This record gives sequence, structure tokens and C-alpha cells, in this order.
Amino acid sequence: MATVNYNEKLQALLSSQAEIEAAKKDASNQEITKVLTFNIGEQVYGIEIPYVVEIIEVSPITAVPGVPEYIKGIINVRSKIVPVVNIRSRFGKPEIPFTERTCVIHVSTGDTSVGLIVDSVADVISISEKHISRTPELNNINQSKFIKFILEMNDGIKLVLDVAKLIDDQIREDT
Amino acid sequence: MAKVEAGMESMLEAYIFETNSLLEQLDEILLRTEDAGFFVEEDINEIFRIMHTIKGSSAMMGFENLQNLAHKGEDMFFVIREKPEIAKDAPFVYELIFEVSDLYKAEIEYIQTSDDDDFTPTDFSENYTKLMDATKKLKAMAAGEAVPADAPAASTTAAKDAPVIVSGGEGSMTVRVFFEEGCGMENLRAFLLLTKIKEEGQIISHIPADVETNAEAAKVIVDSGFIITFKGFDGNNDAVIKAIETALNVASYEIVETVSEEEAKKEEKKKEASSGAAAPKSSAKTDDAKKSSGGGQKQSLISVNLAKLDQLHDIVGEIITTESMVIANPDLEGLRLESFSKAARQLRKLTDELQDVVMSIRMVPLAGVFQKMGRIVRDMKMKLNKDAELILEGETTEVDKSIVDSLNDPLMHLVRNCMDHGIETDVNERIALGKPAKATVKLAAKHSSNEVIITVSDDGKGINCEKILAKAVKNGLLTKPESEYTNKEIQNMILLPGFSTNEQVTEYSGRGVGMDVVKSSIEQVGGTLTVDSEEGKGTSFIIKIPLTLAIVEGMKLKVGTTIFTVPISSIRESLMVGNNKLINDTQQGEMIMIRGICYPILRLHEKFKMPTDVTDLNEGILLLVDVDGKSVCLFADRLIGEQPVVVKPFPKYLSQYNIKAEGLSGCTVMGDGTISLIIDVNTLINS
Repeated sequence: MATVNYNEKLQALLSSQAEIEAAKKDASNQEITKVLTFNIGEQVYGIEIPYVVEIIEVSPITAVPGVPEYIKGIINVRSKIVPVVNIRSRFGKPEIPFTERTCVIHVSTGDTSVGLIVDSVADVISISEKHISRTPELNNINQSKFIKFILEMNDGIKLVLDVAKLIDDQIREDT
Repeated sequence: MAKVEAGMESMLEAYIFETNSLLEQLDEILLRTEDAGFFVEEDINEIFRIMHTIKGSSAMMGFENLQNLAHKGEDMFFVIREKPEIAKDAPFVYELIFEVSDLYKAEIEYIQTSDDDDFTPTDFSENYTKLMDATKKLKAMAAGEAVPADAPAASTTAAKDAPVIVSGGEGSMTVRVFFEEGCGMENLRAFLLLTKIKEEGQIISHIPADVETNAEAAKVIVDSGFIITFKGFDGNNDAVIKAIETALNVASYEIVETVSEEEAKKEEKKKEASSGAAAPKSSAKTDDAKKSSGGGQKQSLISVNLAKLDQLHDIVGEIITTESMVIANPDLEGLRLESFSKAARQLRKLTDELQDVVMSIRMVPLAGVFQKMGRIVRDMKMKLNKDAELILEGETTEVDKSIVDSLNDPLMHLVRNCMDHGIETDVNERIALGKPAKATVKLAAKHSSNEVIITVSDDGKGINCEKILAKAVKNGLLTKPESEYTNKEIQNMILLPGFSTNEQVTEYSGRGVGMDVVKSSIEQVGGTLTVDSEEGKGTSFIIKIPLTLAIVEGMKLKVGTTIFTVPISSIRESLMVGNNKLINDTQQGEMIMIRGICYPILRLHEKFKMPTDVTDLNEGILLLVDVDGKSVCLFADRLIGEQPVVVKPFPKYLSQYNIKAEGLSGCTVMGDGTISLIIDVNTLINS
């Protein structure tokens, strides 16, 4: 309904036939969400903006015993204790020393929050339906269970992480 | 079906809270009066008030089933109010009211937990009938006793059996009363009305005459009204009329005949009160309620959402941390700041005070939880046919609200356990041992330094160590040779997971919730549970919980780059010793001799796998800690200093890993913003 009205209004406003055509195409260009992209090595990953609380610099991390290797410990974010996970080792990649571009993306799924250590943060991009690649054969690909969908953008492929699964207790392979 | 109408959701929480506290109050009164064996007027008024409030608020929220249930309960107590003494001959009253109270609690829990969409109110019609039956029975009992007391009225009643309106003689008045349409049980309402009128005047006759016993009378009343001829005391008929006006469910009345020496007022005064009926009814009740609450003492209390208190508490914690951040700021080092230090001292004083106040707000007495146990003892006493009495001691002891809440279930379980397993099934067993036939279950609470000690004890048969040991062997719970176990250790085995001595699962204990669950839920709030028992004399469960969860005086230790905090309360001393004092045992364990006693050494850097340069005993420091008589020396790089710390739990994400079992109870943010891990000495020693 809304789209029809939209189109009708446009029709009234725009006299040129070509412009109407262009507007129709826009339906698939409608923004669904925004994604924060970050780099791990050469690969670009993304996290949907609603999950992102903030981006913080790496502060001293207090190690905690009895947890998997990829949980680096806990940090103090304005008096809130947030556990930090190194995305590299979470995805089975070798850890690299922190640089000045290394930062922590503080994500939250409502009641649980986690800081993710990433090599560097890239950009915030708007995505629409047409960018989402329909690639259902994810099951056998390594790390795929953390991938919500794949974006095919002009500047390359970006993997959008499923934050809920990443944080979820059930999905853990090593304990 | 939606639970409540749109717009009422916000009220729901208040309703649930209010109703629950009223029900608790009700339980308490009932338990007290049941023990005493009679109701005093105040109690009945109080019960009445509770029932009425519940009825009113349930109606407001649209819970019709609850409203009706309260209404029926109210009816029953109406009869008791008239004749309090009949209650003692009617134990079924207690059964019923307790049942009603349980139904309420269950329904309220259901309302709380069910989804909005699939909520269907429970059908209580069976209970209505039960209550109505009981009410009838009570009325019959009341009437039975009433006959001799009200001889003149009763005799006239008998004489005027025929349905003819007879003038009652000089000064009398005849009134025809109609009850609210569809209110049901008109005959009983008529009877109630009569009792009310009796307070104001003498009843000469009424038609139908046999209202209290004949259910058929209800029909007659609906069809042609209830006709009463009465004579007010001192000729004051107006008072009687007023009583009729304000009586329950009276829709309208008309004066049929007035015989007066002054004037025969034949004016028909029909007061249509169908809309106004509710108003006088409820106002009459409110008056009652006011009277019953003892001269209208005003309580200057408000109820606050616990989440808000938690928030306040957190903020105060932050303020204290921030304060030390400011006062001990490295930028100020070496500066002489006289006025700053003065202001800082002032600030510290105020924040201390603030912290105390916030703490005290969260402190609630244990009485609420303790009194609930009275109900459990009572119910189990009946079911298990054991005579027992619950003694409460120190119920005014105050602890943090969050602790009180988490104590409810463990205490309930322990009390059940005492009743079920502790107390002898056969009274003769008790008598043979020289114990009173009536068993005692005692709930005691007291403060002790930084802890609250709660003891649940019974004077029952105690724990049979041999049985326990045999069972432990059977379940494979032993970790060392049988002969090495002390009695105390054996007794505490019942707290192990996978242990339950009672073969038969009863309704109360042994629903698959073992003592280990009780233990772990107490440990969750930082408490400990131990058992102390003597066979033949009884068993005590001792719960020790910290006064408050949140703020601990701690000693900071450095290990590598990590800072640990050890609660001061568990530290005995700190010492530096040379390597030459070290004793190695056969299994690479290290020990040290202090004043003739050998203590094991626990190197924190090894335990927590923290890299550090200080591994030589000469360079580091030993901290002697002890909990529950067990001691150990912790080895750390160095001591940093004392500081009150606000304990924060580990983030939720980490709860899947068993950090607590490693010997850490939480973490805290220190003045400079870094995080310190808080050591739980108890688990550290036992792990």
C-alpha cells in the first residue's frame, strides 16, 4: 500500500517518464539496515549496527582463568565489566600484536554484551536487499555458523556476522 | 485471551505485589489464630479487610474468578464475624481458607508467568461450592447456638409461620426488602440481614420464617420480597432502616406498615438503590476496615521497585570508586593541597553515610521468610501426621533484600527436610528417648561479625552416619578410604550432588531437588551450608551468608600484571619467609611451618596460570588465610593495600565457564579503572 501511494505521489510530482522508471527501480535499493565493517587480515566482516554499542580502544585487559583461549579477559567500560573476545583466535586465525588501529567493538544482544577485538574498523555502510548474496550453501564452509549473510558490494565481499550466535552459549565447539 | 484490559498492564505489577503481601498477612493471621484456637474480633476484621481488598482489586483488574473466590470467602467470614466462637468447632474453615489462599497464590503466579495470549483464568467453581457449603454449615452452627440466646425472637419466629403480614404492635414497623437481582442465596442473605437488624432492634416476625434452613425460601424472597416486622430499640426504627439500607446486596426496600402512637406514616418510601447499592455497601466496609486497622495508624512507607534500588546501589558503588579515583589521582601526587584534602575528607564522610543509608534501605528483616515456613510446618504436620511446632528466633535480623529472596527456597527445603526426614515418624520413638511428644523445628537467625547465621534445626532422630556412609559407598561418592572420614564429613555428604537417603519420594522432600541444590543456591549468594547432627538428638543446618553482597573490605595483591583482592575477613596474617623454611612433601606440595603448625602453600601464579617474575619465596609474600577452620598460605608477588571494593559479578557471557570453581567470586573496578579479581578463599581452599 505504502509503495503504491509513494509511487502515485511520485507520479504526480515527476512528469518525466524516465524519472518514474528510476524510482521504481529504487524499491530494491531501499535500505534495510546499516552494517559496521571491520577487517581481520584481508577479509572484511560486518556487524549490523543495532548490535553495536560503541567502538573503544584496547584498554588493559584483565585475564580471567578457566576460560577458552579466545576470551582474552575482561575490561572496564565506564564501570561496566565487559568480556573481550579476540575475533582472530575465535575464528581460528593466528593472533597478531595489537597496533594502534586495533580496537574493540562493543556489541550487545540486550542482556549479554561482549567486546570483539578486531584488526581495524573500516566503515559504516547502508545495505539493501540487492546487496545480499543468496548463497545458501554455507553449511560446509568453515566459520559459516557465525555468518548471517554475505554482502556483495562493488568493492568486494563482506561477511556479516550473526552476533546472536556469536554470543550464544550453545554455539561453542571447544568446551 | 489477554490477561488484563489494555491500559491496566501497568497496574498488574502493583496488583500482584499487593495481593501477595495480603495473602502472606492472611496466612500469618490464620496460623496464629489456629494455634490459639479462636478468633479475636480484630483478626476477623483483618481477614475481612484482606478478603475485601483482594476482591476489590481483583474486580478492578478484571479477574472475575479471583473476585468471586474472595467474595465467597468473605461470605464465610461474615458468618464467623457474627459468631466468632463457632470457628473453633469448625476446623474446616481453616482448611478452606488455606486452600483459597493457595489457589490465589497459584493463580497469581500463573498470571505472572503465563503469556498474554494463552491466558485463561482458572475455573474455581468447585471451590465456590465448597465455600458456600461451608458457609451454610457455619450458619447452621451459628443458628443452632443462637436459639437459646435470642429466645424471644426465636419464639416469635416460630409463632409467625404463616405467610401473613401481621402487625407487630405499637412502635413496630414492617418492611419489604428486595435483594439485588441474581445475587443468589437470598435466604441466607435474608438471614444475614436479620442478624444485622438484631443489633438495632427486636425482630417480631419475618416472612418467610425459615430462611436459615430452608433453601426454598430463596425463591419466595425473590418473588415477593423478604418481609420483616421489627421494633427498634427505644422506638428508634430509623436505626433499623439504616441497617437495612447499608446491608449487603439489598437492592431496595419499602415500608409496608408503620404502627406508631404519634402518626401512622404510610408513605411508601421506595428507595431504588440499584445503582447506589454498591456505594453504601462499600463505604460501610471501608469504615470497618478503618476501624480494624487500629485507630488509623498511618504507615509512612512506600514500595519501590527493586530494580531501582539495585540501580541506586550500583550508582553509589560507582561514586565510591570515582571518589577514590579523584582523591588518589596520580596528578595530585606530591602537591600540598590543604583545602582539597579537607574537602576530600568531607566528601568521603558523606559518601560513607550515603552508602550506609543505601545499604539500610535494602535491608529487610527475615521475618517475612521465616513466617512463610510456619505455613509449611502446619501443612506437613497434617499430611505427615507428626506433631511439631515451629519456633522462630531472631526473625528481626536484617539482611540484604536480594539475599532474603534467594533464601526462601533453600529454607523451605530445609524445613521440609526437617519435618519429613528429621522428625521421627513414630511418636513412641521420641518418648522412648525421653523427648517431648511434640517435636520442635527451630529457625534461628543472628548476626556474627560480617555474617548472618541462620540455623534450621529439629530435635528429631538425627543423621545416621553408618547409613549415610553405606549410601555414599553405593553411589560411589567417596574420595578417600572409608575409615578416614570423620563424622562431620559424613554428615556433610548429604549435601553432595547425587545423594538422597530417603528411598521413597514423598510429596514434600525428594521431588528430585536434592540437598546439593539447596547448597548451591546458598553458595550463589556467597553463603555456606553445613550440617551438624547428633544421632537421636536432632539435626541442624547452618547457613552462613555475608551481610551484604556488594561491598567488601579487601586486600589487594599483585601477581604478575593482575591484581587480586582477598576479603580482609579471611586474612589472618601476611609474612615473608625465606626458602629455607620451605618443606616439600612427597607430592611436590609445598608447606611452611608457622608457630609449630604446618600450612600448605598455594602459589597464585601457578593456580591461575598468570605469568610473573616473582617465583622465589624470598621475593614474594605469603598471606595466611583461613575459612571454616581450613587454612592455606597464598603466595603473591606483593601486597598493594587495603580498599573497600564493590563486588561485581562476572559478565553474563562468562557464566558458561566455571570461573567460580577456580576460586574467584567476582571482580571489581579499582580507583584507576583497572579490574581486580576477587578471590573466594573458601572455594580456593576446597578446589
